[in-house]
Amino acid sequence: MALNYAYYPGCASQEITKEANKTTRKVAKILGIGLHEMPDANCCGAGLMTDYDRKLWLTLNARIFAQAEAMGMDIMTICSTCLMVMNTANKELRDDPVLLKEVNDLMAKGVAKGSEAALCYSGKVEIKQLLWVLAGEYGLEKLKAKVKRPLSWLKAAPFYGCHTLRPSDALGFDDPEKPWSLEAVIKALGGEVVDYKGKTRCCGFQVDLVAPDTAVSMTAKRLLDAKDMGADCMVTPCPFCHINLDNYQGMAEKKVARKISLPIFHLPQLVGLALGLNEAEMGLDRHMVSPESALNK
Amino acid sequence: MRQVIKFKIKRFDPMGAEGNAPYWQAYNVKLDHGMTVLEALLKIEKNDDPTLSFRRSCRSAICGSCAIMINGTSKLACHTQIAPEFEKHGEMVIGPLDNYQVLKDMIVDFTPFWMKMERVKPYLVPKKEPKGGWVITNEDTKVIDASQKCIMCGSCNGACNSQEIDEGYIGPSASAKAWRFVGDIREGDKRLRLDRISQEHGIWDCVRCVSCTEVCPKDVAPMTAIEKLREEALAEGLDDNPGAKHALALVDSVKRVGRLDEATMTFKTLGFLRSLGMIPFGLKMQMHGKMPHPILFPAIGKLDEVRGIYKARERQRKNERKKKG
Repeated sequence: MALNYAYYPGCASQEITKEANKTTRKVAKILGIGLHEMPDANCCGAGLMTDYDRKLWLTLNARIFAQAEAMGMDIMTICSTCLMVMNTANKELRDDPVLLKEVNDLMAKGVAKGSEAALCYSGKVEIKQLLWVLAGEYGLEKLKAKVKRPLSWLKAAPFYGCHTLRPSDALGFDDPEKPWSLEAVIKALGGEVVDYKGKTRCCGFQVDLVAPDTAVSMTAKRLLDAKDMGADCMVTPCPFCHINLDNYQGMAEKKVARKISLPIFHLPQLVGLALGLNEAEMGLDRHMVSPESALNK
Repeated sequence: MRQVIKFKIKRFDPMGAEGNAPYWQAYNVKLDHGMTVLEALLKIEKNDDPTLSFRRSCRSAICGSCAIMINGTSKLACHTQIAPEFEKHGEMVIGPLDNYQVLKDMIVDFTPFWMKMERVKPYLVPKKEPKGGWVITNEDTKVIDASQKCIMCGSCNGACNSQEIDEGYIGPSASAKAWRFVGDIREGDKRLRLDRISQEHGIWDCVRCVSCTEVCPKDVAPMTAIEKLREEALAEGLDDNPGAKHALALVDSVKRVGRLDEATMTFKTLGFLRSLGMIPFGLKMQMHGKMPHPILFPAIGKLDEVRGIYKARERQRKNERKKKG
């Protein structure tokens, strides 16, 4: 059965990390995964709206879920923060029917009567990350069969991103104590996995502007950790991790007074590389750290 | 035949022959049915090595003494069975909690932990009792219930990413404790408390890695407590700091365009002067096409729906406030 999803790239991948969005669409096409647009979907709150007002946050998330429900599809995102935020909201709404009703009432009040159909969420939508789709429903064997150019030269360090794994009671797919999915995808693509301590730790993104010293030191620590274990590159399913590991790598280098030069791939780019997409198709020129050294030329 | 499992334990004794360097030592433990990590440690101490040091008391996940690292995660030794743990990881690697200074083997210095607790004044400062006494409803209790369950084992601080980098960060355990009192309807010093923890190294420095909530053996959910503290701080108007500004900028951005507009958010978070400092970095980003256009930022479809939800919720919030007084 063909896989179809309501596609929610997340705000970051519609702007700063456009290359992840662009590559995901191409990869999905090759793999035969149907991605269906959600042009009216709003931001999930990015883990910041919960700081302002929980009810508003839940209602805006219910609006996204209701749209997917109307499409008759589950949601697939390529942003781990969206993944965590939406799954956390979904769990709260599903666990508490009274709350779900309150949120639906508020949504009905907010949405103008003129709109064609009243938005209502019943609690049936699942929210998945591209990583989960590849390692789960799509399947590693099927992915392996699609590989045109096995990444046999590449030693890749998986960087999960906090919100791919935690909180596990809302996310549920992988095990934060001993995650396997990203490693499994790297292996299915023919790459070698580099294990290191920082793979389930934080990149620092959330405090980039709030506590920049903490953020940059954290980024540097993760990068060095992977580099020192012999990685040629890092791969992450989360665009925010990519922003810190790639865009901020120069600052991290300054902080620790050491050249790091570690290419950082978005998960869809690593898949695209193995499927035979070229650099331009995957927007690799948009990266701040040149990926050249990891491309086997 | 009973299974024998090798325990790889991180040892450290500043007064020992190895001096200041930590080292690994292996012990074989014959497994009893349902045996916990703490029982194994007690067995090793009794039969193999009386110098092995670790804290313990109740053996029932109540006292919070025996938090250690087990296969890379902070856990209570008494609350962790060996068989499933070994099955998952294929090994038993034991050491002291991360993010603390080690005194000996698995015993770490809790002084910073207690000092952080002190920073949030871990006791109720009651406001004037209403006539007829306080009436505490179930709902009132529910708000702070999770944070009351903390046994101060320190597992969360050991897992905390912010604390790993910034020792001065207030940390999840003290934050959960702060919420215990800020969320209490009898509390009189709410604003002062919130003001204190809104400063640098306070609640806004949390990186939202959710590690604290993940490892907590008592479901205290410190991450949620931090969110609630932030929500209360904003409601109290304590928003003159980058963390608060960042959150408010997002709320405003979604209302304006339905999405997260990173460039405008950066400007609003940092203010004019500090934003100037970001220009060189911004230009570098621009070279790679990574700067989102701050003016031509496209809005989502049916933005009116989002704005309608904002409006409806604002009305509701106003009424809720009125009721609360």
